[in-house]
Amino acid sequence: MSYSGTNSKPKILIVDDEDALRFGVKKLLEIEGYEVSTAANGTEGIALGTNEDYDLAIIDLKMPDIDGITVLKSIREKQPNTVCFIATAYASYDSAVQATKIGSHGYIPKPFSAEELLHHLKLGLEKRYLILESQKLKSDRENRLLELSFERSRLNTIINSIDDGVLVVNRDEQVVYFNSAALKYLNLHEIFLGESIKDILPVKIREIIGVHFFQSENRSYSEEVELLPEKKLFVLATSTKIYQHDGTLAGVVLVLKNISEFKRVEFIKSQFVSMVAHELKAPLAATIGFINLMTQKDIQLSEEQKYDFLSRSNSRLASLLSMVNDLLDISRIEMQTVVRELKPIFLKEVIWDVLHLFDIEIKNKNIQLSFNEEEVNPIIKGDLNEITRLFTNIISNSIKYNKQSGKILISIVELQHFTIIRIEDTGIGMKSNEKEKLFQDFFRAKNEYTKNIHGTGLGLAIVKRIVDSYNGTIDVETEYGSGTKFIIKLPLMKSEELSVYKNESEIAFEKMIGPNK
Amino acid sequence: MKQINKILLVDDDPDILEQTKVMLESRGYNVVTADSSDGAWKMFNQEKPDAVLLDLIMEEHDSGFVLSYKIKKDEYGKKIPVMVLTSATYVTGFKFDSSTTEEREWLKCDAVLNKPVNIDDLVKRLDSFLA
Repeated sequence: MSYSGTNSKPKILIVDDEDALRFGVKKLLEIEGYEVSTAANGTEGIALGTNEDYDLAIIDLKMPDIDGITVLKSIREKQPNTVCFIATAYASYDSAVQATKIGSHGYIPKPFSAEELLHHLKLGLEKRYLILESQKLKSDRENRLLELSFERSRLNTIINSIDDGVLVVNRDEQVVYFNSAALKYLNLHEIFLGESIKDILPVKIREIIGVHFFQSENRSYSEEVELLPEKKLFVLATSTKIYQHDGTLAGVVLVLKNISEFKRVEFIKSQFVSMVAHELKAPLAATIGFINLMTQKDIQLSEEQKYDFLSRSNSRLASLLSMVNDLLDISRIEMQTVVRELKPIFLKEVIWDVLHLFDIEIKNKNIQLSFNEEEVNPIIKGDLNEITRLFTNIISNSIKYNKQSGKILISIVELQHFTIIRIEDTGIGMKSNEKEKLFQDFFRAKNEYTKNIHGTGLGLAIVKRIVDSYNGTIDVETEYGSGTKFIIKLPLMKSEELSVYKNESEIAFEKMIGPNK
Repeated sequence: MKQINKILLVDDDPDILEQTKVMLESRGYNVVTADSSDGAWKMFNQEKPDAVLLDLIMEEHDSGFVLSYKIKKDEYGKKIPVMVLTSATYVTGFKFDSSTTEEREWLKCDAVLNKPVNIDDLVKRLDSFLA
């Protein structure tokens, strides 16, 4: 489409077998600012006119090869926007009607004066301009609609992909929009647009939306709602006003955010707090009880009894202290308040160190110790305090819950990227229901064997937390009355990482002994 | 109801058990003890005490109630007062009491006392069962 009405020359095609007319018109129109192409017969005219989108075409009706009507038809078919005129000396009503029927814009009778021709062409150009303009508008509109529907469907896709439920209601409390997450959280198969929320939404959710219709100056209102019982689905429901341009309320948008996991953790935490309180209370109550007894004037106690009560109070307070220490450890691991000092740790060394800590206990109970070290020296990357704590807790249990003159078997091997440490005792073992709860906070097996064994119930809970934090695993095999075996799997330190430390320690060593030696 | 002389005292905390025993003995009661539900049931049948004092939380969180239920269903146990001692009110936020008949029916015990036990209150409670 060449004609823009302003900057470029209008293009015109003249199809006429009369040489003099062609040349004359061409010359005239070129002076008038047209770009002129000419064709001396019908065949040539079709070739040119169908090939290019001329603004205008003047076609002679009578030509020796192909008549003007056929040429007009061909051009109209291929270039419907070219404004065509039929020119003829044999003006007849019939041929004029026929030409107009198949799309000729006008009819120029021959002979014509320059003014007549230019007048026709001027009207033709205006027509051409209108055609192009309306076509542009039409295609603009189509593009816009396409864009709009694309935008809408994109927005729909986005809102539907959000994991939060979105639901919009109008002033009449009818649903006007929702996404699939909203259906899911509200446990609905379908919502019909225009449906009243009274018929479909839970009371609590309706109230949260209703806040904006009845009271509340605030733009937004949030509340936690339990949508499925037993903590299966908790949502944070937030309703927000939607205003119209004039500032009046158009409706309310409700957003439902799934906070079930958060609530579950919150519940575990508060359960933990209540358990801690209970566990701390027992030794305190016992100690206060003894003091009460000893300070009551009307209760006569022997010196022996008094001493017994004092030493029992002492041991209860000692156990309270170790429990507080365990709790501090747990909070340290969970909050990661202390930055770990990760260094290469030689596990065999750690285990030997821990075993030496318990020398006296092992001797007192006459426990036979066997440490099968094999030909490996596993190194892991870890915090020495934590790893020591891990083995202290397990080995302490295997002594505490062992029989007099029992055995402890420790083995350590490497398997691909892991080291596996097995610590086996010939102690009291566990029942299967006890084994399941083994790593729970404050769990202590209560049976005939454990009556006189003290503990915080946090030792293995700490072990589990440490092992987990190193991406390791801990398993337990046990048989009630005959023994327990812990199997700990920890990732080995990567050799390329180790080489860095080797160099560093060599450098440190050199610094220590001085460069000259 | 006959004079209360022999009391079966049950608590899995040996220190609390000892303390309560000493207190009751100072008031002239004859005290037999057990530190588990099973042991208590054995002792109950063997000693036929005049009253039973039970700790609520032993092996399980409601061991005391379960045991008290068992004793109250027993032909002999029906006739003697059974009291549950608990500090659960502070921990769980629930308040246990057996002031109404309905609650006594549900709890299957004659009284619920909070720990720590005040010996004067306890003796008063024991005396009240005689009236």
